Amino acid sequence: MFRTVPKTTLLAPIQRRTLLNGNYPKAYPEHVPLTCLGRAVLAVGSGFGTFFDSRRGDLVATLGEATAQPYFIYKLREQMLKDPTGRRLLREQPRMTSKSLDLDKLRNMKVGSIGRTYVEWLDKEGVSPDTRAQVRYIDDPECAYVMQRYRESHDFYHALTGLPIIMEGELALKAFEWANTGLPMSGLGMVLTPLKFKPKQRKRYFDVYLPWALYNGFRSKPVINVYWEEVLEKDAEELRRDLGIEQPPDLRQMKKDMAKKK
Amino acid sequence: MLRSTTLQRLRPAVFRVQRWNSTTTSAPKPSTTHSDIVVVGGGPAGLTIAAALKHYPETVNKSVTLVEFGSLDNLKTWGPDMERFENRVSSLTPSSVEYLTKIGVWEHVNRDRVQAYRHMTAWDGVSGSKVQFNTTQLMGEGRDIAYMTENFNLQNGLLKQLANKPNLTILDKTKVEGVERTPESHNKPLVKLSNGSTISTDLLIGADGANSPVRTFSGIEARGWDYNTHGLVATVRLANEQQSAWQRFLPTGPIALLPLPNRFGSLVWSTTPKMAAQLKQLTPEQFVMMVNCAFNLEPTDIEYLVEHPDEIMTDAPYRLSQRSSNPDVPCPIVAVQDKSRASFPLKMKHADTYIAENVALVGDAAHTTHPLAGQGLNMGQGDAQSLAIAIRNAAGRGADIGSTLTLEPYWADQYFKNHKLLGVVDKLHKLYSTRNPLVVGLRSLGLDAVNSVKPVKDFLMSQAS
Repeated sequence: MFRTVPKTTLLAPIQRRTLLNGNYPKAYPEHVPLTCLGRAVLAVGSGFGTFFDSRRGDLVATLGEATAQPYFIYKLREQMLKDPTGRRLLREQPRMTSKSLDLDKLRNMKVGSIGRTYVEWLDKEGVSPDTRAQVRYIDDPECAYVMQRYRESHDFYHALTGLPIIMEGELALKAFEWANTGLPMSGLGMVLTPLKFKPKQRKRYFDVYLPWALYNGFRSKPVINVYWEEVLEKDAEELRRDLGIEQPPDLRQMKKDMAKKK
Repeated sequence: MLRSTTLQRLRPAVFRVQRWNSTTTSAPKPSTTHSDIVVVGGGPAGLTIAAALKHYPETVNKSVTLVEFGSLDNLKTWGPDMERFENRVSSLTPSSVEYLTKIGVWEHVNRDRVQAYRHMTAWDGVSGSKVQFNTTQLMGEGRDIAYMTENFNLQNGLLKQLANKPNLTILDKTKVEGVERTPESHNKPLVKLSNGSTISTDLLIGADGANSPVRTFSGIEARGWDYNTHGLVATVRLANEQQSAWQRFLPTGPIALLPLPNRFGSLVWSTTPKMAAQLKQLTPEQFVMMVNCAFNLEPTDIEYLVEHPDEIMTDAPYRLSQRSSNPDVPCPIVAVQDKSRASFPLKMKHADTYIAENVALVGDAAHTTHPLAGQGLNMGQGDAQSLAIAIRNAAGRGADIGSTLTLEPYWADQYFKNHKLLGVVDKLHKLYSTRNPLVVGLRSLGLDAVNSVKPVKDFLMSQAS
């Protein structure tokens, strides 16, 4: 008798509506409507996951979405609404992929340009613009785009600052992003992850990178409003100047220097 | 709602008074006549008190002189077609209308140009939480929340009612140049007019607007503050017929759309003086788009578009299309009436007292308020009613109509009632002019609670009407 009950009928009600799954209609195709409790569970779960394994990009992304709503993602959209370029981004909603960016063309751009710096950085770190996850848990479709744009721009922030994707670099960039965008996930990462650092790492982080990140993040213009696709030819140093960002010390070089001193 | 003319009217009057006082002490006395009651100001409050005094048998034989600085000719012959509506419109509450009916004025008001409404929606522009009032649910069938009436329509009706009344003199285009009390006049006010005559009176009623010369002459202080906000009014055309009032609280100030007959609407947009000036300079198309944005988009969006008028016609339609149709938002505005955009500064002001020996203040002369509750004119109507009854009671007893003992009931009736209303409106304005997320959260919680608890709503409705 038990065998005759198909598995799907047992699972079906859970998919339709539970404590965690909201029953409101999808605002965009990839949307997963959640209840408040659902969002909280997601935040706690992905938070723990991220803390113990910060290489899990999917968990970091989920944590970002679960904590951005309500309020924070709307504040970020407000920053875009205050700026002509930000408004144009919201209207045109461009997406960044390895196709739309034409990486080969970027490799042939002049040294020091945003496009070249970005692609060199991608090649050096061995990542691709296609590794960015789709936004699912943000309810407002326009805010979902803001989140998506923030995520896709992340690699450009690396290119802009020259911070590597080792833990300290990633964290310094998180701190910069928190100061600049106000998204709580970046703030959580900035505060909690250093607990796992070795003393030397921690000293470097607190003495050099954190002050750099916070100072520049607060001071510079909102980097979410950069139309990266249009500034690829621009000199990175010039863009940094336009935005009001100083370049941080090269982290890998500094590591080597510190190792030599020993 | 507010009369902008009072401002220009004022300063020269005060200036001349001093000059007159200093020169007339030795000069021969000009011709002096007596009028039992002198009403200064031909606005709704002044005309209503005159009409009320001429209604009661106890006061109908008292001689009344009404002095108005401006010309009343246009008001007497006023009667535009149904394709034009004035931009100064007030929301008359049922109790104001009840009294106007009682004293025979309401029948002279052109009722085709009055729009009753039974629904009202107010919502928070930052959080979106809202409160809805609906009289058919709250107060039984057949009750209206209020009646949208052009101020000119009301004044025209009042003047019709006052036409050919005995013992009533209306002096328009006449300025009050000074008020003096001398031992010969038994310390009663001597009102010196710009036409050279002087009137001695038992009771001087100041219905002369926010910068009331009568109040100044009487040495009554009015205290309050500037909201540093301007009220922009305009007559707009709506996409379809409406019987609802709408108000959205933006951090820069509330924007309200009130229904008028024939698909017209009255707009009151309270905002920063700078933004009000920018809005007045927009082309009609841009302005219409901007008003629709103001009811739909985020405050940041609205502020950006006002700052960048070039982008209104290109960017705003896209922004509006991103908002899914929201049933809480009024129907689109399709046009703005030519030359109907005007703005004036908003102030909270309350006179220390409404009465002195032989003097009473009513309407804006006694108090000014923010238009967000639509109560400014109604407060003046309440004053006129209460003061007229106090005078009637004294006249019936044969008592001195100018003594503070006679006027005291008026003050007792109205002062604290008005003070409470001024305070509530002032706090509402302050509560909604912040974007602090904590305050926004709390006020939204409060508004949602009000919206879901019926007795609270009933109480608020009864207070408003």
